[in-house]
Amino acid sequence: MRVDRPTLHRWLMLTPALLVTGVLFGVSMFYGISQSLGYLPFIGATRVSLDAYASVLSGATPAGREFWAALGFSLWVTGISTLLSSVAALLLAVALSNRRRPASQATLLALNANLALPHMVWAIALLLLLAQSGLMARVAAALGLIATPAEFPVLVRDQAGIGIILHYVSKEIPFLVLIVLAVLRTQGHAYAEVATTLGAGPWMRVWRVTLPLVWPGLSAGALLVFAFIFGAYEVPALLGVSYPRVLAVLALDYFLNADLNRRAEGMAISLIMTVVVLGLGLLVRRIDASER
Amino acid sequence: MHFQRFSVVSLMMIFAVVLVACGGQPAAPAQPEAPAAEAFDLDDWASVEAAARGQTLNWYMWGGSESINRFVDEFYGTALKERYDITLNRVPVADAADVVNQILSEKEAGVDPGAVDVIWINGENFLSLKQAAMLLPDWSRRLPNASLVDWDNPAIYLDFGEPVEGYESPWSSAQFQLIYDSARMSADELPRSYAELMTWVEANPGRFTYIAPGPGAFQGTRFVKGALFELSGDPGLWLGYDEAVWNEWSPQLWAYFNAMKPHLWRQGETYPRDENELHSLFANREIDFSITQAIAGAGPLIAQGLIPETSRAFVFDDYMIGDFNYLTIPSNAPHKAAALVLANLILEPEFQAAQILPENGFGLGYAIDVTRVTDPAQLAALEEAQAQLGEAATPAEDLAGSLVADSSGEYQSLVEEGWRQFVLIGP
Repeated sequence: MRVDRPTLHRWLMLTPALLVTGVLFGVSMFYGISQSLGYLPFIGATRVSLDAYASVLSGATPAGREFWAALGFSLWVTGISTLLSSVAALLLAVALSNRRRPASQATLLALNANLALPHMVWAIALLLLLAQSGLMARVAAALGLIATPAEFPVLVRDQAGIGIILHYVSKEIPFLVLIVLAVLRTQGHAYAEVATTLGAGPWMRVWRVTLPLVWPGLSAGALLVFAFIFGAYEVPALLGVSYPRVLAVLALDYFLNADLNRRAEGMAISLIMTVVVLGLGLLVRRIDASER
Repeated sequence: MHFQRFSVVSLMMIFAVVLVACGGQPAAPAQPEAPAAEAFDLDDWASVEAAARGQTLNWYMWGGSESINRFVDEFYGTALKERYDITLNRVPVADAADVVNQILSEKEAGVDPGAVDVIWINGENFLSLKQAAMLLPDWSRRLPNASLVDWDNPAIYLDFGEPVEGYESPWSSAQFQLIYDSARMSADELPRSYAELMTWVEANPGRFTYIAPGPGAFQGTRFVKGALFELSGDPGLWLGYDEAVWNEWSPQLWAYFNAMKPHLWRQGETYPRDENELHSLFANREIDFSITQAIAGAGPLIAQGLIPETSRAFVFDDYMIGDFNYLTIPSNAPHKAAALVLANLILEPEFQAAQILPENGFGLGYAIDVTRVTDPAQLAALEEAQAQLGEAATPAEDLAGSLVADSSGEYQSLVEEGWRQFVLIGP
């Protein structure tokens, strides 16, 4: 087989990057899969089986008893956060680009300010602000709106995951606005103006003109956000309750369990999470492809 | 021709990456002295000290407390250098579990000698390394100072129920205690048993909570186990594992905590994850009790500004679980002799007296049985230290009177998983 020079050249240029990701990612993936199959040679477990998956999915073990609740909770928190931040980002971007003058630097800076904050910092800030012993509760109590700080509504560390959702919505909106604004900037106002002359109101314009224009960028961005939140550990660990827990927290708990035999279950949960995200990615791609 | 230049650059990068990928293993620990230089006989202590001379001791320990780090460097670091010509290299880690993972990886990769000489450890991490057969065997009872340790005490020869069997040597001790704020309530209002605690919680809804039992939150597990001891009335029952005993008492344990649940902080729908969260709830006046494991009681926490200055430690009349923490030596440790010298030095009465004093920064209890110390000067040092513990500490006789040993290791995960299933998630 003859490979022409440009193709060979391209692959050669890609090799360093491929090697790094391939080795780092591939090896850890290989270890993850083999541990989830119960292959833990350092404790003398070398029999390979699907036991860990079976016990997680059937709910036979402590990890399994929590698995379905954790999956549901993860999907709820991730889904609602992704949806809310996508819708808000779309509307915000439209509002910013509809103005006669482009959005000022100051507006964009204010919008993007929390992009620079690490998730941990933002989560702890929310905790200090919204906890029942937090700043807002104290202010509300001092103003006489509530009798004691403890009467403040439970907004973080709540069973519905409101604190986690608040965190991700506030953190992901700027990220998605950035994407949508970038798309809108390249489009100009022509389509919107044509739609207006044809009698479309503002909502109609967003729905029939802007959304189809930004959809490829927005859907890809939303998928990134979904995958990120679904796999994230630190924010649900900080802002979540003891039960229900998200899958990432459950997986790490069992991966770090003192009983090394439990590691297989932790790894199995992690790989099930990977499958969920991959499956969703394929689904979105298929929808995108069929719409084109 | 920029085309060719790019090819050369990319080829060089490929080689660099391949070299880095392959070079990881041999580059690991560059230790000048080979393990062969470690010739010593544990029964001839002078040979251990001779072998340890000039070594650098890599002590991996939890580094989250500045005051403990300073105590280790000032007290042990100086003595090791001056008396034995050993250089202490304290390696701070976020969690002893990280060291366990590192040693397991070293084992998988066949790295010997490894990087770790000695670890501050107890409980589940000890169990993990023992399970993986990565510990130096049969040494702790052969140290010269092992005679000062009460090796017949189950709280010492069992580490969270797992037999120590010479794999680790004690450093210090801790005992479960509660903390109250003397500005908020007086000492005679305090509950003195789990039964009285239930009455108190019912009378003061929302003012009490405890740490969620689970891996990494042993304080919560310990609090729940204390209730198990009181319900059954016999802590000795739990020293060995017996499924029938567990099946008999565990339903009553869950019934006790389920009865308490609606009266807890946040109606028991969530629980603090660790001691810091509990302290901050206590300091914020959301709840009225916190806990500690330190022999100096509330003192070190007050000094760190975590809880009010009027905080005091106290215990129930019985079933307050105490335990010991240990030093252990991995079987692939590069400097085993120096590690043995440290484990022995730590048991010297002068250092044991120094470690209980909060102002030295450590504030945990003795590993030795002070009644076995015969030297008058050493005895005087121990008594003086004891007298200096302030009023924030639980009186020594209360601690001794309520001390019980932890249960057999099997109960650890049974309590943690059962609590999640039957109390947290609910029947």
